[in-house]
Amino acid sequence: MKPSHALIELFRSTHGEVHNQLIDSLLAGRLNRREFMRHGSCLGLSLTTLGTIAGSVGLIAGPRSARAAGTGGTIRVAQNAPASAIDPVKIADGPGLAILSYVGDFLCFDRNDLTLEPMLAESWSPNKDGTVWTFKLRQGVKFHNGKPLTADDVVASIDRLADPANGSNALSAFTGYLSKGGTRKVDDHTVAFHLDAANGSFPYLVSSDNYNAIILPADYAGNFEQSMIATGPFKLEKYTPQVGASFVRNTDYWGGQVVPERVEATFFADIQPQILALQGGQADVILQAPVLQSVAVLNDPNFEVISLPSTAHQQLHMRNDMEPFKDARVRRAVALTLDRPKLVQGLMKGRAKIGNDSPFAAVYPMTDKSVPQRERNIAEAKELMAAAGMANGFETTLTTERFLEIPDYAVLVQNAVKEIGGKINLNVLDQGAYYGDAVYGKSPWLDSVMGITDYGHRGVPNVFLSAPLRSDGTWNGAHFKNKDYDQLVTSYIASLDIEAQRATAGKIQRLLLEETPVIFSYFYDYLTVVKKGMSGVVTTAMGQLLLAKATIG
Amino acid sequence: MARFLLKRVALSLITLWLLSVIVFTAGQVLPGNVGRAMLGPFADQRAVDALNHEMGTDRPLLVQYGDWISRFVQGDMGRSYAYRAPVAPFIANALANSAKLAAVAFLLVVPLSLAMGVLAALHAGRPVDRSIMVAGMSATIVPEFVSGIILILIFGVWLRWLPISATWPPGAGFFGQLYHLLLPAIPLVLILFGYIARMARAGTLEALDADYTRTAVLKGLPQSTVLWRHVLRNALLPTVSVIATQTAYLIGGLVVIETLFRYQGIGSLIFLAANKKDFPMLEAGVLAVGCVFAVASLLADLIYSWLNPRIRFGATE
Repeated sequence: MKPSHALIELFRSTHGEVHNQLIDSLLAGRLNRREFMRHGSCLGLSLTTLGTIAGSVGLIAGPRSARAAGTGGTIRVAQNAPASAIDPVKIADGPGLAILSYVGDFLCFDRNDLTLEPMLAESWSPNKDGTVWTFKLRQGVKFHNGKPLTADDVVASIDRLADPANGSNALSAFTGYLSKGGTRKVDDHTVAFHLDAANGSFPYLVSSDNYNAIILPADYAGNFEQSMIATGPFKLEKYTPQVGASFVRNTDYWGGQVVPERVEATFFADIQPQILALQGGQADVILQAPVLQSVAVLNDPNFEVISLPSTAHQQLHMRNDMEPFKDARVRRAVALTLDRPKLVQGLMKGRAKIGNDSPFAAVYPMTDKSVPQRERNIAEAKELMAAAGMANGFETTLTTERFLEIPDYAVLVQNAVKEIGGKINLNVLDQGAYYGDAVYGKSPWLDSVMGITDYGHRGVPNVFLSAPLRSDGTWNGAHFKNKDYDQLVTSYIASLDIEAQRATAGKIQRLLLEETPVIFSYFYDYLTVVKKGMSGVVTTAMGQLLLAKATIG
Repeated sequence: MARFLLKRVALSLITLWLLSVIVFTAGQVLPGNVGRAMLGPFADQRAVDALNHEMGTDRPLLVQYGDWISRFVQGDMGRSYAYRAPVAPFIANALANSAKLAAVAFLLVVPLSLAMGVLAALHAGRPVDRSIMVAGMSATIVPEFVSGIILILIFGVWLRWLPISATWPPGAGFFGQLYHLLLPAIPLVLILFGYIARMARAGTLEALDADYTRTAVLKGLPQSTVLWRHVLRNALLPTVSVIATQTAYLIGGLVVIETLFRYQGIGSLIFLAANKKDFPMLEAGVLAVGCVFAVASLLADLIYSWLNPRIRFGATE
């Protein structure tokens, strides 16, 4: 199909420089449809507009899954019990943030393909250098108590998270970019975010990717569990800590008819009883099923697995400032011993994607795919060891946590490294002990010579690039300090243009392959299990569960 | 008797106080702080500091302990750090739940294992005795998480006769609750059966051998009277102390069963509180179980002395 010039010219004349650059990249063939949609959505263009433009240049969307038919019914969700009181400001655990996703909405929603979909914001756009982002709010949205949503609610909600006095978990996402007072009302339905530093992916920080950022009434004063007043598809009926919660359909929902009448969330302390409840017909959905513990249901024809490629992963760090890993050649040699396809198949039962020793997972559109994939190569690893003066190998301790498949992964690393004469002693700790105080000097995670740490999904790699790898990073277990790297990350995060991002990403990827402070061998999928015949269930790799359009079948 | 009771109560109080100190100190030895445990390793340090300040967990340890115990002795158990709500209702609910499950398990296991223990003793050395003892031993060594899963698979998943979750729906009556508690009680029955049956068997054998039994038989009493009045009463003695010591396990030690059957008992409440460094909840939970243990052993002593005249008279002399 030939590009429709009239349509594109119309678009060009009505949009600014940043948006025009996006069109340039598309016309030059440097973006595929998914990348164009994703980056366009981040820049605030509606998915309809993006779809029309993509269509006009001949990029057609793949088939969409069939929409659910029928309404009503109760959906019973089995999930882990929230770790603490449900407080949108402080919540930090998967089961808790799932509860927020039943009752609340974000300004925008980070979809499975990592494109942003408007939720409470209808559109958004940056200024020229990406330091001010203006969001237009949807009109006619009502809170569960009947009050209309206005800019004041958004300003109060986001400011509450950015205020250090409130102890919000969102601080780690906002730090360096959005401070208290940076969120300002323009008019009743427009909000402007004035950033501390340019950020080309800022909308992700107020999307479902930042799970604390659901919009609450301006006068919210705590005690969320009592009423859970927000704008989402379900209203709270009853919440009992440790036991469960029930929700009823919000008939005033801005997103149209909510299909299920009720949602019942039942809390469990472990995955095993959740599987039994699903098998025994006492639950319809398991919110999150870890691969190793869920083999029984993953292959059962009575259930369907919703498998999302995520960017969650296990980082294997090596202390750059301590023997035996001071020499980058030794670190590279260790990385070369791992057989990644085998890890994915054997350890993760195929439910993971191979990593290339940088946070740039293949699923990120800005990842430079031309960077060669690191593969197992024992001969090269031995050469590197010899060149580093370690032909006889080394002995060290790998400290890690008892969580998901990590202890098994540690054993596989231990065995792989034997081939180059490495002797690794394992020290597997409870999670609490491993993380310790989570500050340098008081945490096996940050102090150990070698360690494996779990990192949850992020819609953009900014946090992965900064906290565990920058010289001033707060989670830098590898103690990696590299000025070139720091500069590359700063310029990567500031850039608004996807091509600039990708060019910088390539440089970062190559630098990290050379230095290998951390081994990223796989990024595992987020698995949700549902009863066969259910449809319309939307999950995110963050752990949100959207049931507004779900039917039991 | 009153003096005996008073002494026992005073000793229990001292034990409980020591327990509170030990729990508090042990909680401090564990790495990590409360705010960090709540917000997770990836939270910003400022957020952790703010939360610790809000909860008062940034104060010196002695101040925290003093504050806690002075409120506790006035009947205020404090507020849970994790749930940001008063601790008392959580403890009361969990304790009631645990007591219900323990009661169902006891009601099933005590008559069954006593009957089987006595039966085995009456047929000592014969096949009946052997099969009861072997069955009892075999059941005891199967861990509850294994028997629990097998039972759930059979009765909950395949046959669908019994509910998988021990938590009954709101508003369930006595029988509704009993129906939900049957399945989780069975693994406990399996664990305790062999133990109690062996004690009952040993006690019965000893009583059967005793002089007073021979006298009773020789003076021509019917066998049933000998059994009921002379043998059983003595055979029960060791069993009572076993039951008393198992109460604490049944009330506070069922983390695995409670997790598997999704039941909010005090065992899992304590376990979670320890994980989250939720000190007020942990202290209150441990002390609650400590109280149960103290009361159970006191009761056991009283029953023991009632069953055993030698002790009863000794105590009153």
